[in-house]
Amino acid sequence: MKTVKGNQPEWKELPEVPAGDVGFAAAVAGVDLSGDALADGFVKVLEAIGGAAYVVSGFDRIGTILRELFPRVGRVVSGCPELEGFGEAARGYADPHELEDVGLAVLAAHFGVAENGACWITEDRMIERALPFIAQNLALVIRKKDVVVNMHAAYERIGGMNLEYGFATFIAGPSKTADIEQSLVLGAHGPKSMTVFLVDEEMSDAGFY
Amino acid sequence: MKQNGGKPGHAGKEDHAALADAFNKDEARVNWHDETLWWIRQKRDKAAHTIPEWELLRETASRIKDNVLSNLGGYLEQFEAAAMANGVTVHWAADAAEHNAIVLGLLRRHGVDKMVKSKSMLTEECHLNEYLQEQGIEVIDTDLGERVVQLAEEPPSHIVLPCIHKKKEEIGEIFHEHLGTPAGNADPQFLTHAARLHLREKFLTRRAALTGVNFAVAETGEFVVCTNEGNADMGAHLADVHIACMGIEKIIPLKKHLGVFLRLLTRSATGQPITTYSSHFKKPRPGKEMHIVLVDNGRSVHLGRKEFRNSLKCIRCAACFNTCPVYRRSGGHSYHTAVAGPIGSILAPNLDREKYADLPFASTLCGSCSNVCPVKIDIHDQLYKWRQVLVQSGHAPLAKKAAMKTMTWVLSNPSVYHTAGKAGRWFMLNAPFTVNNGMNPWYKQRDMPPVPKQSFGEWYKKNKK
Repeated sequence: MKTVKGNQPEWKELPEVPAGDVGFAAAVAGVDLSGDALADGFVKVLEAIGGAAYVVSGFDRIGTILRELFPRVGRVVSGCPELEGFGEAARGYADPHELEDVGLAVLAAHFGVAENGACWITEDRMIERALPFIAQNLALVIRKKDVVVNMHAAYERIGGMNLEYGFATFIAGPSKTADIEQSLVLGAHGPKSMTVFLVDEEMSDAGFY
Repeated sequence: MKQNGGKPGHAGKEDHAALADAFNKDEARVNWHDETLWWIRQKRDKAAHTIPEWELLRETASRIKDNVLSNLGGYLEQFEAAAMANGVTVHWAADAAEHNAIVLGLLRRHGVDKMVKSKSMLTEECHLNEYLQEQGIEVIDTDLGERVVQLAEEPPSHIVLPCIHKKKEEIGEIFHEHLGTPAGNADPQFLTHAARLHLREKFLTRRAALTGVNFAVAETGEFVVCTNEGNADMGAHLADVHIACMGIEKIIPLKKHLGVFLRLLTRSATGQPITTYSSHFKKPRPGKEMHIVLVDNGRSVHLGRKEFRNSLKCIRCAACFNTCPVYRRSGGHSYHTAVAGPIGSILAPNLDREKYADLPFASTLCGSCSNVCPVKIDIHDQLYKWRQVLVQSGHAPLAKKAAMKTMTWVLSNPSVYHTAGKAGRWFMLNAPFTVNNGMNPWYKQRDMPPVPKQSFGEWYKKNKK
């Protein structure tokens, strides 16, 4: 530590961090980011990185879609009480190893990031830290209006939430690797699929059924 | 583990040129390696061009890191206090030996003799795996690429893509031998799935996990680990003890600075918008332990070298590897150090000038590395400056020293220069074998243009009127 302090150069000021507001991002990119543009951008990026996205009216619809997508997925753990009768309601698990055979985990995340398709989720919403990683498939739920433009906006939002956590993570798509000759393979150690539901309460279900 | 990548015949001092020679024997493979990395460089360009404020981001990141270096001591103390308040145990290691002893001590205290580890170039730098194995502790590398090279008993050849030098057929053979996959199966999907099953068993049964650290936030005491595979999280969340090892330069002042670095890191590395997981570790799970080992290992001394301290700003994205014409055509193992490529070539001589004196010469000084660096390190300038320092301190490679002396004599004597030029052209025209032979490194893997009949000087004399 003495060497560090003796050798560090003269104090240099910290720069400003680029603003995370939509207006700034829209201005530098020269695009319109109003209306559904953020949610649309989020969906586009998420699909490009191997994830899937659905804009839905509510949890009824989420249950229906998940049953269709994962008919024989085995054990389902849900951290969303609104998903009545779908999978086991998550409880406190004495040991994360109890979760090793989970086929699908459904969890509520806080918000999405349009520029990279990532969702921010804190420990309190994971049930167990291991769950979003150990499950064979992962579904996250956010509100459609909770999509921020970029990572600067994301950290502004996190700062604003003032939510204490011991662990939190951004998740962007299924776990993946391209270590063998740069061939992309989805499903490295974590989930093989990631589905994000964007809930739009103002949306009508008409047309779905 | 063999430091020279298992290639025989490099007894004694390792040298980039000699190791690159070995790599260059298989021309088709070199071309494949070159093209693969260039493809990744192109993906980086594409990703960077989607961000109109890219240059502003690079400038901001560079200035944040300037600020970090100017108050590294203060930020480290702040980080330590915050992490301790979060219930994390903080350890300080002056060098690699101390780092390794701390990790061993923690494992011994918990009676652990098997550990999973996610990617950490720092532990490669400290040769932790070899050390722990000598102490009877089994270490399983869980990043797929790292597991491949671990099974092949080689070090990683690239800090982001550890087995980029391996063909899928070779990986198929390695898995056949060690994981029992069918002989001849080299399908990446199949092999990845086999590794998933093999490593899942390890995650579920190991009680200690070691991870690296991408960024540590002084403000909050939390640290961020980025992976695509999810291996750091699978290890850490299933273990009783999580040990995170980091070089002291990984500190950033404020949490909001993560926004800047996470936007730059993967776009620079592989052209992805972000890694699948950017995990923020702050407190241990109830009843479990989280440890951070802060490692100096030469960094504090490096900080005092005005000309070279900028290299401590590195965020290990490897963009400089992928763009480097020398790295692409010589392979990571030719650098015989944990962090290869242009950035490794300016970091390594700081640790051992004698051993790594060859590395700053393994560059064309084209400057492409500096152009792609997300934190604007003046990499090619530093390579050039290291050459001067190494020659002055008598560490330059012998052949280079002799050649430099001869050149000084030739270039400072006009008559000698003209005679030498004439003689050279005569030999190349009339007796090409005297220069185009194994003795002359300029003819390795390349042909020379035709020799002019006269020099520019002779032409000028004849034509000036």
